Amino acid sequence: MAPHHAHNPSKRRGADLSAYATLSVISIFCAIPFFWVLLASIDGNASLFLQWPRELTIDNYVRIFMQEDGTRWVLNSLFVVGTATLIVMVLAGLGGYALSRTRAWWKRPFLYTILLIRVLPTTALIVPLYKVLLTANNWLGGVLRAIFGNGPAREILKYVGFIDGYLGLILVLATMQLPLALWIMKTFFDTVPRDYEEAALMDGATMLQRIRRVLIPLALPGLGAAGLFAFISAWGDFLLPLILLSSPDLQTLPLGLFRAFLRVNTIDYGFLAALAFVYLLPAVIAFGFARRFLVQTFSGGVKG
Amino acid sequence: MAVIELKNVRKYYGALEVIKGVDIRVEDGEFAVFVGPSGCGKSTLLRMIAGLEGIDGGDFLLDGRRMNDIAPDKRGIAMVFQSYALYPHMSVAENIGFSLDLKKVPKATIRKEVEAIAEILQLTDYLDRRPAALSGGQRQRVAIGRAIIKKPAVILFDEPLSNLDASLRVQMRAELQRLHRDLKATVVYVTHDQVEAMTMADRIVVLKGGEVAQADAPIALYHRPDNAFVATFIGSPRMNLVPVTIARAADGKAEVTAARLGAIHIDDSAMPLPTGPAQLGVRPEHLRLAADADGDFDSEILVVERLGVETYLTIGSLDQPIMVRVEGDIAMRPGDRARFSIDRQSCHFFDMAGRALPRA
Ligand SMILES: Nc1ncnc2c1ncn2[C@@H]1O[C@H](COP(=O)(O)OP(=O)(O)O)[C@@H](O)[C@H]1O
Ligand SMILES: [Mg+2]
Repeated sequence: MAPHHAHNPSKRRGADLSAYATLSVISIFCAIPFFWVLLASIDGNASLFLQWPRELTIDNYVRIFMQEDGTRWVLNSLFVVGTATLIVMVLAGLGGYALSRTRAWWKRPFLYTILLIRVLPTTALIVPLYKVLLTANNWLGGVLRAIFGNGPAREILKYVGFIDGYLGLILVLATMQLPLALWIMKTFFDTVPRDYEEAALMDGATMLQRIRRVLIPLALPGLGAAGLFAFISAWGDFLLPLILLSSPDLQTLPLGLFRAFLRVNTIDYGFLAALAFVYLLPAVIAFGFARRFLVQTFSGGVKG
Repeated sequence: MAVIELKNVRKYYGALEVIKGVDIRVEDGEFAVFVGPSGCGKSTLLRMIAGLEGIDGGDFLLDGRRMNDIAPDKRGIAMVFQSYALYPHMSVAENIGFSLDLKKVPKATIRKEVEAIAEILQLTDYLDRRPAALSGGQRQRVAIGRAIIKKPAVILFDEPLSNLDASLRVQMRAELQRLHRDLKATVVYVTHDQVEAMTMADRIVVLKGGEVAQADAPIALYHRPDNAFVATFIGSPRMNLVPVTIARAADGKAEVTAARLGAIHIDDSAMPLPTGPAQLGVRPEHLRLAADADGDFDSEILVVERLGVETYLTIGSLDQPIMVRVEGDIAMRPGDRARFSIDRQSCHFFDMAGRALPRA
């Protein structure tokens, strides 16, 4: 605290007050959309404008999960994004470790090159990406049909297909999220001294034991941060599922929301708001977790 | 039993040779200290003994068995890291017992052994804490506990006290020596601090640029340094080195002349000193204030450091300062002149390459 503040408490209080006032205005500005979504979703006759609900109802939520395919959308989204996040965490953990520990001239160029994946707009890549996936999918379909016959092959393709299958979307989502996660993990491992691994080596730990008992616990904050970034970003992705999925079975939450928006002649704001709220919630919860990891990861890594 | 022998050991980082053919022998139960300036290869050498660095040339023998290619955990060697490297996600007890846990020792046995170790190291009250909640000295003791629970034949320390403050360092020094007496393990201890080396070691190995400059008992290094490097590295304040010319005054008497110190006669009847240019090495404690009548030379006093119990005088010139240590408190001021004498018994001579000239 600057010394002149101590002499002048009233001035200091004034400064505090204006700071809090500014912060409050900003937070209200940020919070209003969430608030509106929540309010509208439980409003019996919601409209485009922010209003206090005259009658409270959970009909919209009941409708999502009972009448519509809401449960399926949520599960599909969680499965696809969750699996992609898991893949990202495993690969970023291993890759980040390797990138941090090896001395090689190609490290810097490599790290900047992979960041390009993040920098290039997905939309611009979608056509070649689709072409590649389609080719792979046709080839895979041919193989599966030859082995299992037409019917079973279609069922299997729902899971492992590159187009209109879980696997394709999962892999592409993971690919998009991997570069940033690799950067986070590489930077994180840079702050973890080798001494820990060497101490474990002297203690007689095998490679697997060193990873499981020492490295993973040490890397957990970094992995958490990388995983949550990946989750939040992949959860919010709309274009990729839109392009890659078509079967009703495979629809994810953002697609459900989008189709509901397009569906009818009159727009049901209450229903859309409820759906939007369901879609928002995991991201907000994830962010709540992320804060802890972020603070640890970006304020100096492991402290022993 | 654990006798460590390094025979012509070498290490390269790429084309750079950092350990240049080192021969060291450490006897069973000895407390050996590797000392030297930063970057001289102490840590590298220690890590080669531990097995954390490969040995590119020569042999490392433990009790006569070649260890070059034995895995670190199979050597019966434990190491205390400079950073301590305590696992932050484990409690003190888990840290100490980790090596036993990896060996699938029953939990109850581990607990008993950990408690016994904690008793020795006064950590009993902290066993359930995380390392982050410990003081520097306590972390140090946990790191030692983690090493000694393995009952190693050799314990390696890499600058273990460098992260502690001065008073704690003195205390830990005594504690480590007590521990060494109790455990009877062979200890190799690395430090850049010559005082630490002098106070703790049975034997000191002075390293310089990846080579052994000299290895001997601490007090032998003080009295009989092999070269100017060891002479100035061991002892504090450091030994004065003065360029001199040696001439023959008489049979068994050499005349040593220095620009500012005048000429003194040295008895070299045991082993004649070679004539010509050389370096005179004389420690600050071997120069004295002298009465005006006798003494060897006059000098202006440049700096006075009064510590009460002793006084350091810097004399000579600024480009060739000479440090004098005088017992007790001497009230002198910079600019005063005084007469000094040199203790002839304690003079060292080095040739221009820094090798000690034999005196006997
Ligand atoms: N991994 C490494 N790669 C290249 N040079 C190294 C490496 N580790 C140490 N060195 C070099 O080897 C020399 C000895 O290092 P070190 O053993 O750590 O010295 P000390 O512990 O005596 O300070 C130093 O010059 C250092 O720069
Ligand atoms: Mg070192």
